[in-house]
Amino acid sequence: MSILYDEAQQAIANECRRVLDARTDKARLIGLLEETGQFDEAFWKTAVEQGWTALALPEAHGGLGLGLIELGLVAQAAGVLTAGAPFLTTNYGAQQLLLASQDQAARDRWLPALSSGDAIGTVAFAEGSTILPSAPETYLADGRLSGVKHGVPAGLKADFAVVWASHAGKPALALVELAGISRQAIRSFDNGRLYADLTFMGAPATVLFEGEAARAAALQALAHMAVVTAHEQTGGAEALMFIARDYANERKAFGQPIGAFQSVKHRIAELYGLVEIARANCIHAAACAGTSEFTRAAAAARLSATEAYDTAARDTVQIHGGAGVTWESGLHLHMRRARSLAIEQGNMLFWEDLLAGELTGEPA
Amino acid sequence: MNDLDAYREKARAWLESVAPTYGKQAREGMTEDEDLAMGRAYQRAKFDAGFAGINWDPEFGGQGLTPLHKVIFEQEEMPFAMPSGYFGVSLGISVPVVMRFAQDREWAKERVLAALKGDEIWCQLFSEPSGGSDLAGIRTKAEPDGNGWKLNGQKLWTTWAQRSDYGVIIARNDPTVPKHKGLTFFWLDMHAPGVTVRPFRLAAGDSHVNEVFFDDVKLTDGQRLSPVGGGFGTAMATLMIERYSASDPAGFGPPLDLFVDLARECEVAGRPAIEDGRIRSAIARTYAMRSGLEAITTRAMRMMEAGMEPGPEGSLNKLVSVRSRQKLSELAIDLMGAIGLGWEQDAWLKDDWVASWLSAPTMRIAGGADEMLLNTIAEKILGLPQDHRPDKGIPFNQIPA
Repeated sequence: MSILYDEAQQAIANECRRVLDARTDKARLIGLLEETGQFDEAFWKTAVEQGWTALALPEAHGGLGLGLIELGLVAQAAGVLTAGAPFLTTNYGAQQLLLASQDQAARDRWLPALSSGDAIGTVAFAEGSTILPSAPETYLADGRLSGVKHGVPAGLKADFAVVWASHAGKPALALVELAGISRQAIRSFDNGRLYADLTFMGAPATVLFEGEAARAAALQALAHMAVVTAHEQTGGAEALMFIARDYANERKAFGQPIGAFQSVKHRIAELYGLVEIARANCIHAAACAGTSEFTRAAAAARLSATEAYDTAARDTVQIHGGAGVTWESGLHLHMRRARSLAIEQGNMLFWEDLLAGELTGEPA
Repeated sequence: MNDLDAYREKARAWLESVAPTYGKQAREGMTEDEDLAMGRAYQRAKFDAGFAGINWDPEFGGQGLTPLHKVIFEQEEMPFAMPSGYFGVSLGISVPVVMRFAQDREWAKERVLAALKGDEIWCQLFSEPSGGSDLAGIRTKAEPDGNGWKLNGQKLWTTWAQRSDYGVIIARNDPTVPKHKGLTFFWLDMHAPGVTVRPFRLAAGDSHVNEVFFDDVKLTDGQRLSPVGGGFGTAMATLMIERYSASDPAGFGPPLDLFVDLARECEVAGRPAIEDGRIRSAIARTYAMRSGLEAITTRAMRMMEAGMEPGPEGSLNKLVSVRSRQKLSELAIDLMGAIGLGWEQDAWLKDDWVASWLSAPTMRIAGGADEMLLNTIAEKILGLPQDHRPDKGIPFNQIPA
C-alpha cells in the first residue's frame, strides 16, 4: 500500500520548504553547535505559528486531524536545511503514547498543550547504549519513579517525559513531569537536539501502560517516531545529493567539471538510488500507519533512510574535497545530524534485529 | 474491486489453470527443443485467451489495453516459470518496432500476428564485438547495392538468434560522418543467404546468446525501418516503445523468503543461522531495499493509473535489484557451506542460489550495464555532465580504433 501525495499534501510540502528557506540561517545553526541548551528557536516558533504542532493530532484534542504523512512532509522539509528542533519528533511520540493510553486525565492535561505548542513532551526509553532495555533499571514504586535515563532528545526543554521503567518486575510506561528533575546536559556533536541524562529520585509518576502492553506501546511509539525521523533523514540526504550535484557541475579540475569524472558522477547517482528507496519506504510507512504492516514498514524506512543520510553525508563531503571539511561550509551540520538522527529512536543494530524478528518470527 | 484488480484476478486464475500444462514442473527435464515447442504452445494459449499483445493495437492482434494491464499480467506470470523467455526480446523489443516502422503494413500485420501466436520469433541485432554499451560505435556495414543494400559484419550477444526467424538490425551506412549520424535501421530474414548464426555458452552454462555473421547479405530498401542515417534515433525510440515491463525487487533471483527458510535450516557456530547477527542484518537490509523498490513500483503503477508519466526512479530497479541478488546469492552459498557446492545447470533462477549467482553477472550487463545505468541517472535525471568523449563530432572512420 503506497500512495501518491494529493494536492493538499503537496501544498504542505511546498509551504514548509518555502517558510523554512526564508527563515533558516545556516550561520546561526553552526553557532548552536558550540552551545548546550540552545536550539533552533526560529524553527520552533515557525512550527507553532504554522500549526505543525497540531498537524497530527485528532481534532477532538485540538489538532488538525492529519497524520504521519503530513507530519513526515514537515520533517522532510526540516531535514533539508538541518533546521528543526527535536520536539517535532518527540512530541509526536508523546502524543501517540497518550492517545493509545486509557488515561483521560493525562490526555486532557497534555494533548491540547502539545497541540498549541505550549508544552513539549519527550520519550525517555534508553539506558546506556540500549534503546529499549528488556529489564530497565529505572523503576516505579508507590507511584514514584527513580533511576537514570540517558541521551533523552529534547530532554533539556521538555515539560514531561514518558519513561520506560520496571514496575514490580514488569515493564511499564510512566508519565513524569520534568519540572524540578535533574537534567544533565550532554555536550554533544549535535547540541541542537538538546540531549540530556535525566535523573529521577522518587519523582511522582502516572503509569500509562504496564506489562506486555507497555512493551507494545513503546515499540509502536518508536516506530511512529522513526518514520518521522526517516522523513527528516531523507530530506537531509536529498539535499546533500543536490549540493553534491551542484558542486560537481561547478567545480572544475583537470580541464573539466569534476562531475564528468565517473568516480564522482556515479557516487552521486548511487545517492539518488539510496534517496529514492528511502523516500519510497517513508511514503509507504506513513501510509500504512495503523495497519499490521506498519512495524516492518517503519523499520524499512528507518534503515534505508539512515543508510541514505549517512552515505550522502560521507560522499558529499568527500566530493567537495578540502572545501567540504571546513567549519564554514556547514556540510558538517548534515554529517552531525545524520549521526544524531541515526541514534535517536534506536540505532541500526536495534532496527535490523527488530525487522529480522518481524520477518522471521525469531527474536534476536 | 477496481478494473485493474479484477484484471489481476482474471490473469492469475488463467495462469493457475494452465500452470500444470506449461509451468515449472511440466518443464522439468525437457530438452531445449521440447521446451521451445512447449513455449510456442504456451504463447498460442496466451493469444487464444487474450493475454498476448495486451497493450497492442487490436488491428495487429492486440488487446488494446493499457501498459499497466501488461505489467500486471507479467507480475502475475513471473512466479510460474512459464516458458516465455524465448519471446522476451521478440515481443518486448523487435516486433513493436516492426509494428511501428515497417514500410509494408500488410506484411507487418502478418508478422506481428505470427509472432503473437508464437509461430515466429524475432531477435534484436544491436551489440557487436566492438561495442555494446557504445551502441553508436558499431561497425557492421550496410552499403548501397543496386536499389537495396548489402550487409557485412558481425553482431554479438544476440539473444535467441539461433531460434529466430527474423531480426531487427542497426548498421553503419556512412563511416565518413560522426558515429551517431551514419547508422540505419533494417529488418532482415535470419535465414537469408549470408547469415550465419553461432550460439555460444555463457558462464552459467546456458547458450541463449549468439554470434551472428553477415556476408554480403542482400536487403531491399523496403526493409529499411528508419531514414537513411537516422537509425540511432529510431533505435533509441524503439527502446521507449515498450518501456514499461514488470520489474522484480528480487532481481529475477530467489525471493527473500527463500533466504529466510535457508537461514532456518543452516547453522553458524553451532547455533541456528537465523539467530546470527550478520545473517539478520542481511535479511533486514535486503528487505528494506526491496520493499523500497516495491513501493517505487506501486507508486509508478498508481501514476500510470492516474494517466501520469511515472517518475524516473523506476530506472533504479534493475541496477539495485540485480546487485542485491548477486550478493544475497553469494551469502546463501556461504550459509550452505559444503552443501552449497552443488551445481544443477538447468535449475530455476528464482529458487536456486547457485544458478542465481552464476547468471547474476549477465544480468548486470545485459540490457544496460550498471555503469551505463549510473551514467543515465547522473546525466538524464540529475543533470551531471557527460563523460569526456574523445570520439565526439569526429567522422567515424577517423576515430582511433
